[in-house]
Amino acid sequence: MSERKDEKYAIYVENLIKVYSGGLKALEGVSLEVNEGEIHAVVGPNGAGKTTLMRILTTQIQPTSGHARVLGYDVRSESGAVRKLISYVPQEFSVWTDITGYENLLFYSKIYGISSDKRHRIISDALELMGLSEASGRLVRTYSGGMIRRLEIAAALMVKPRVIFLDEPTIGLDPRAREVVWEKLLEYQKEYRVTVLFNTHYMDEAERYAEKVTFLNRGRVIAEGTPQELVRLLGGETLKVWIEGESERASQILSSIDGIQVLSATSNQLVILTPDSSVMLPKIVQTLSKSGIEVRSTTVSRPTLEDVFIKLTGMSIEEAEKASGLREVRAVRRAIRAGG
Amino acid sequence: MSLKSYWEQTVAFVELELRRLWHDPTEVFTRAVQPILWLTVFGTTMERLRSIPTANVDYLTFISPGVVLQSSSFIALAYGIMLVWERESGILKKLVSSPVDRFIIVLGRSLAGAVRAVTQLFIVLPVALLFGAKLKIDPASLILATFVLLLGSVGFTSLSIILAVFMKTRERFMGILQAIVMPLFFTSNALYPIEIMPAPLQAFAKVNPMTYIISSLRDTLIYGDIVSAINGLLVTLVFSSIVLHPETKYLQKIVE
Repeated sequence: MSERKDEKYAIYVENLIKVYSGGLKALEGVSLEVNEGEIHAVVGPNGAGKTTLMRILTTQIQPTSGHARVLGYDVRSESGAVRKLISYVPQEFSVWTDITGYENLLFYSKIYGISSDKRHRIISDALELMGLSEASGRLVRTYSGGMIRRLEIAAALMVKPRVIFLDEPTIGLDPRAREVVWEKLLEYQKEYRVTVLFNTHYMDEAERYAEKVTFLNRGRVIAEGTPQELVRLLGGETLKVWIEGESERASQILSSIDGIQVLSATSNQLVILTPDSSVMLPKIVQTLSKSGIEVRSTTVSRPTLEDVFIKLTGMSIEEAEKASGLREVRAVRRAIRAGG
Repeated sequence: MSLKSYWEQTVAFVELELRRLWHDPTEVFTRAVQPILWLTVFGTTMERLRSIPTANVDYLTFISPGVVLQSSSFIALAYGIMLVWERESGILKKLVSSPVDRFIIVLGRSLAGAVRAVTQLFIVLPVALLFGAKLKIDPASLILATFVLLLGSVGFTSLSIILAVFMKTRERFMGILQAIVMPLFFTSNALYPIEIMPAPLQAFAKVNPMTYIISSLRDTLIYGDIVSAINGLLVTLVFSSIVLHPETKYLQKIVE
């Protein structure tokens, strides 16, 4: 007998729709498959539906229609079984700041039913793994943002989940703290092969740490694959050109050249997608200088996920956030908070 | 889930609260200021007037149990603010995606708030004794009084958490709190026997849970009448169970 398709995956989501009670559509038919032991990133601008998707998968809210399974268990009808196998780190702080780091883990270890004879060792191990042994006796109020995040991840890993959900794990952290968070997380992931699903709007993070990436925009999946596959979707190379003069006009002039595509044009920088830069670069420079636009410098690079997102949506993540409007993002947030 | 793990999880919430109190006990003391003023200023002055019929006990002794409850119930009723904060942070989200039953979250939080509230018994009573209140302090009556106060405070904490669901901001919550605490206090038998109240107020006093908690505390701490105290305790139990029930439903509502 063949295994059912939806039981083979750590996470299986099919045609998920979520309409909040205010009528706001957060998810408009999302499908997603995550293999066991995989690190999977859901990438998209604020308001794309990332948090809503994660809240459904962690059994906090129910979908309007469609279905979702975690390790074969339905998130709606078997939510109790799902909750025993997962861990979740929300975007906002989820530890008490007026007690110590150790005490926070002690509380969560009791909530998750870790037996009293193992508790101390498990907590100490988790604190050590996250580099918090020394700070464990201090009030969390005195921790830095990065330390708090690591404490929350320690709380999530301590219970040995089979799937861990991280909602924007490094939001608001400086680059060094972001790196440390990932370093520690990957160390654990390598050892236990736990499935990781994380939301982010940092493209570089998805590219560096995820084995698979799902692009979410306005409640829909717009692309998915390994970072390499997604980048290959574009083909060719990305050319960055710094110019003297208005980039809008330069962008218009370049549209006459066949085979290239201007991905973005900001103040004095153009990002251009080209199949072969060695042929196209001289042509571009020549065309621009003929129109009186001087090229200051250029770089050639492999396209990034950011470029893929721009190609797919016609705008960068920041622009997508602006286009969907702050008002809409706020409405989503409100709906999430107000509930159902 | 076994009964044992339910119990352990509930205790974990209480332990968490005790640890928070240990690190920052300020509230316990600042909240005690007002009841101490009731005893030392209002109580001692009214006692000289002898205008309130308090049967065979002096006025200071008479109001001591009520003042303890006023202090405790204020802490309990303010506890919902914690939930407003926990909703704004990710704590509640994390809790509802953990294996802990949602009823245990509600019971655990309510009991935790109640434990915080009960601390007042051990601050206000010694002050009352110091100013000459004639209270029966022995292990049995103290245990019974603690239990009554704990149970009543569970009810007030639950009520507070329900309020927090509807009053979504701190400001609105604190406003409504003021509008509830004082009327509850004045329409109870805390400061005078209900027999001397006008008839409509008496009717209100009889459905005011504070009245029963205070009666039970008085029976224990002043008269040593355990049987009557247990009657009051049963009414308190009914009150707390009634508010705990919808609280679970509302918790679902806040997170979803």
